[in-house]
Amino acid sequence: MHGEFFEDLTGEISVERSIDLSVPPDSVWQHLTDGDLLGDWMEGEVEITARPGGSITLLPEEGDLVWGTVEEVIPGKRLQWSWRTDEGMPTQVEIEIGSAGEGTTLSVRETLLPWTTTGLPPQWVDPPSPMAFLSAAA
Amino acid sequence: MQPHEVFAALADPTRLEVLTRLANSGPSTATELSASMPVSRQAVTKHLAALDAAGLVDRHPSGREVRYSFDPGPLGDLVEWVETVGSTWDRRLDRLSRSIE
Repeated sequence: MHGEFFEDLTGEISVERSIDLSVPPDSVWQHLTDGDLLGDWMEGEVEITARPGGSITLLPEEGDLVWGTVEEVIPGKRLQWSWRTDEGMPTQVEIEIGSAGEGTTLSVRETLLPWTTTGLPPQWVDPPSPMAFLSAAA
Repeated sequence: MQPHEVFAALADPTRLEVLTRLANSGPSTATELSASMPVSRQAVTKHLAALDAAGLVDRHPSGREVRYSFDPGPLGDLVEWVETVGSTWDRRLDRLSRSIE
């Protein structure tokens, strides 16, 4: 009776969205990789070092701090990072952009990572330090 | 129970098989489950403990053994995660669209 639901779970649990924007990809890319611009639409304070291995943190207007590591950066095309809250909830975020006429199509996918808090890779055990905006806010 | 912990409990193929059997065949003991699967009773017992920790099975002591039944409750947390994350991205993309154009 629950067979089909379980078959789905052997894959991934993810959320996908996409949107068409009227400005060219270069302009959208800035909104992905500049912390201030990214924070404007991600609804919080964002710090991002947009290179593989760089850190990303989001202090949302509502909710818990999310922090993690940038994994892939293809300028003007693709940005990927994985992050978590202190309590866990690790996810991977993939954002891709491409030309659509004179504008841009942006698609985002957030995937739940099946890691337990005790089974986290080492780089996930402690938050990045220093988190400038946190100490500035204190 | 947090969604990623429920998902982690489901991510192992053998463990998922144990849970699927419980869901389809009704309450069973570790011995009964291992008799119809190519894994040892000890292995099944370990998987049942992980499922129990995630809240996906209920324990019913029965004589010297324990019967386990499927508890679908935590699966609702996964559905809720998908809904919450989806509406968050809807809001963000709407905000991006308005600020960029």
